[in-house]
Amino acid sequence: MRKSKKYKIFRATMLSIYLIAAIIPIYWIILTSFKVPSDLYAYPIIYFPKVLTLSNYSYLFSFAHFLTYFKNSLLLSLISSVISTVISIFSGYVLARYQFKLKNFVIGLLFFSQMIPAYLLMVPQYSMFSQLNLINSLIGLGILYVNIAAAFSTIMARGFFVRIPRSLEEAAMIDGTSKIGALFRITVPLAMPGIAAIFSFSFINDWNELFTAALFLNSDDKYTIPVALYSFISKAGIQWGVLSAGLVVALIPTIIVFAFMQRFIISGLTQGALKE
Amino acid sequence: MDSYFKGRGVILVKKGVIVAVGILLMAIFAFSAPKIVLNMVQVFTSPSRTEILQNIIDQFEALHPDVQINLISPPYSTAYQKIYLMLSTNQPLDIVEVGDWSLEGVVELGKLVDLRPYIATWDASKDIVPGLMKAVSVTGGIPYIIPNGVYAKALFYRPDVLAKCGITTPPKTMDELYADSLKITDPKKNQYGFDFRGTGLPTNFIDIITTSYINDIDPNNMYKLTNGQLWFKDPRALEGLKKYIDFYKYTAPKDSINWGFDEQVNAFVAGTTPFLFQDPDTTGLLNTMLKPDQWMTAPLPIGPSGKVYPSYGFGGWGITTYSKNKDMAWEFIKFFTTPKISAYFCKDYGALPVLKSVYDSDPYFSQGVFKAWQYMFEHPDTYVFTSYPLNNKKWTEWNEYQQDTMQQVLLGNMTPQEALNKWYDFWKDAFSM
Amino acid sequence: MVRLLERRVLHVKGGAKSAPLFIFWMILPVILIISVFTFYPTVNGIILAFENYSVFNFSNIHLVGLKNFNKILSDPLFWIALWNTLWWIVLSVVFQFVLGFGLALLMRDPFKGRGIYAGLVFYPWALSGFAIGILWSWLLNGQFGFINDILMKMHIISQGINFLSDPSWAFFSVIMVNIWYGIPFFAIMLLAALQSIPEELYESAQIDGAGVFSRFFHVTLPYVSSTVFATLLLRVIWVMNFPDVIYGMTRGGPGGTTNILATYMINIVYYKNDYSLASAVGVFIITILMIYSVFYLQFTSKHGAGEF
Repeated sequence: MRKSKKYKIFRATMLSIYLIAAIIPIYWIILTSFKVPSDLYAYPIIYFPKVLTLSNYSYLFSFAHFLTYFKNSLLLSLISSVISTVISIFSGYVLARYQFKLKNFVIGLLFFSQMIPAYLLMVPQYSMFSQLNLINSLIGLGILYVNIAAAFSTIMARGFFVRIPRSLEEAAMIDGTSKIGALFRITVPLAMPGIAAIFSFSFINDWNELFTAALFLNSDDKYTIPVALYSFISKAGIQWGVLSAGLVVALIPTIIVFAFMQRFIISGLTQGALKE
Repeated sequence: MDSYFKGRGVILVKKGVIVAVGILLMAIFAFSAPKIVLNMVQVFTSPSRTEILQNIIDQFEALHPDVQINLISPPYSTAYQKIYLMLSTNQPLDIVEVGDWSLEGVVELGKLVDLRPYIATWDASKDIVPGLMKAVSVTGGIPYIIPNGVYAKALFYRPDVLAKCGITTPPKTMDELYADSLKITDPKKNQYGFDFRGTGLPTNFIDIITTSYINDIDPNNMYKLTNGQLWFKDPRALEGLKKYIDFYKYTAPKDSINWGFDEQVNAFVAGTTPFLFQDPDTTGLLNTMLKPDQWMTAPLPIGPSGKVYPSYGFGGWGITTYSKNKDMAWEFIKFFTTPKISAYFCKDYGALPVLKSVYDSDPYFSQGVFKAWQYMFEHPDTYVFTSYPLNNKKWTEWNEYQQDTMQQVLLGNMTPQEALNKWYDFWKDAFSM
Repeated sequence: MVRLLERRVLHVKGGAKSAPLFIFWMILPVILIISVFTFYPTVNGIILAFENYSVFNFSNIHLVGLKNFNKILSDPLFWIALWNTLWWIVLSVVFQFVLGFGLALLMRDPFKGRGIYAGLVFYPWALSGFAIGILWSWLLNGQFGFINDILMKMHIISQGINFLSDPSWAFFSVIMVNIWYGIPFFAIMLLAALQSIPEELYESAQIDGAGVFSRFFHVTLPYVSSTVFATLLLRVIWVMNFPDVIYGMTRGGPGGTTNILATYMINIVYYKNDYSLASAVGVFIITILMIYSVFYLQFTSKHGAGEF
């Protein structure tokens, strides 16, 4: 349709610009992670080091036992995101489909919950969790993560569900399917791109969350990746080599999640289903 | 028939297992000595420091098999936030490390134990570097921590970079430092002289240069003269501050207004700014990035007053008031402050030892790069170690305030005199004069 | 009891869609969670703003009325931060949205390697705010920065630009980085929304003779509008409370020129250890956001943004 030659060239150029802008820092991180310490601060800047080293990575996994942090982050992020996404499907659906008296109030509450700055909550939440004995607990942190994600996910889910015509669900319900059945068998598959996007976002937010994790976790064996990486910034400066290696390793799951989700987000799985 | 016996056999085996397990459990219960668990938090976390501390803990645990110490190592940037929250909610914590600038705040929380009774029965307390215990007794003269390391600024320089410009000996005075820095500065070649600290709390740096112009600073209070007055409105202070600004304007890159520790080290290692004031814990870092003949240390340059006023920085261990194992916590602190352990800690970490005997017995601290500090300690009339008013509630507020006003001056939005007047007002109010 | 609650509180309209029990239980999880773990602490946090809770007053905490608010309003740095916050939000969100939408439109039609391309071009979102902050502070370093080096090698400039220490550049730099970071968010959300637009709508529009721009404004935009409005609102709220990038790059300097309310609040905690004062700033932030939301919702419902 719109695939004229001019457009193709235009598109290719624009896409390349976006790509280069995105890639530059990641090239830098990867490069730095393989540099030897003496090259890190060298001037003129070394773009193509003569000597590459894996020492930053080996340091990461042996001395800094990065695998533990990786495992903690992975479990925490996966479980929290699944829970918050499922919760959001329930609440988002109802907010999209039904009218009820307090509906705007509920939506307002959801938005309001996003406005609260983290530093305002810091002391009260810490006291609360201290009384609940959930300090230094990954479960406690998980609860907080679900809390952070649930409202945002609901708002987004509502946005996606709204656009899906009710006719399909109603047809199914006339055939005898329950409301929940219709939700999960008809609506959810149609809203998959959106749900996939929501899941990816919560996962990434949880994966990268630093502030709450650093405050609520004490023992080294419970640390998540962001906290571990943050520890490479000390009074004695920043260990760029190891930090870069850690960032590279930390990026891998997020890229996998993206790759997995883009199958849903981009592949236009839904287009066929809407043709009536 | 067989099944009858088999049945009874099975029952017998089951009974036997239950009894055996029961005996085993009782044995475990009876013979496991109740473990004492101590929770310890460090404040200057870095991976290598954590390893060193863990080694020391392992040695202690070997000597005390009934004790287990958990080391909590929060990232440096959030360490104090965490400590305040933990202490204010009585989270399980026995030993707390506190740094000098935050000591007053932590003490005010009321969760640190007055250590005088413990110190009274401790022989090694006499071995601590003279004046140090007094320096750490910031609040009302009461010691709430035992120091574990001393920090003081010295001059780091790059002999190889300086040689290129014909400079073969390090400068001994501030004027020489300035002249050398000026000589070597050539912006077109991205070569500058002085490693300027613009952000990340440059209190020390501003004060070292400014006070070197005044010869009667009160050793107990960096911001007062021996006659009890604040020196901010003294003309010598203006001279000193102007010189500090000149260092920025003519011998350092404009970007350095935003330089913190990391950028300072970066610039020094890259050779861009071959003169650096820094603490001894920088030595370990430099060792990983430079060859030994590429960097050296020297005593701080002396100011026109004939003196210079470095300050004692320190960190130390305290015990929480709600700890259930105060005595064992004290045992650990004592263990930490023995010559062998202290030397090990300081060597690896780069702090200066707190025990006199270490200096006397271990040549490491009087040679090579540590000679600079040794020299400064041995000439106290010229290198006058001065205390900051750390017990003042507004101390940490001051750090930020001084940094921000200084940046305004460097940006040209404020004159040095205006800044000095503001500082005068600040301390007049803070000292309730 | 529950039935009573539903009838009174939810007042569900009748008809095939009425299902009060269903609604109640579906909404309960999210409302319960945020009430316990966000709203309850928020109330406590707001109370903090009226107390004198600082490390130095720990043994003597009591209410002090509006003292903290007065203190903040009389601090010139607060007003600078407030002004900065406005610009921070407007510029960041507008450009993130426009550029993100552009990217989504460019990516909508399949092309070879689109999957891999997506993984690469979206990854800035995958980095944590703090990582981006320190990474870009490194890249934009006036002496050793990658960016300066490239610019000088291309002879665009002759001396390094002090991106982060020159007050005229610093704020611009942090906003640029924030835009860079936020583009994937809009791109992904809008791409997902674009994917759901049925092809027939475009076909029938083309048959009717609509050009590219007309198709965009009459087919694309209305269809994704509900997503657009929700994402814009959320994004503004998030950007307001997003100090990580600034904090990692400049900590609000030099001289407080890149402070936004959120970093101003952080600095109060770090340097003054005064949680009450910081909470007062938090109350300001919440108030501003609430006022904004009210106006935003009025505006969008007036302009027929669909049910909202």
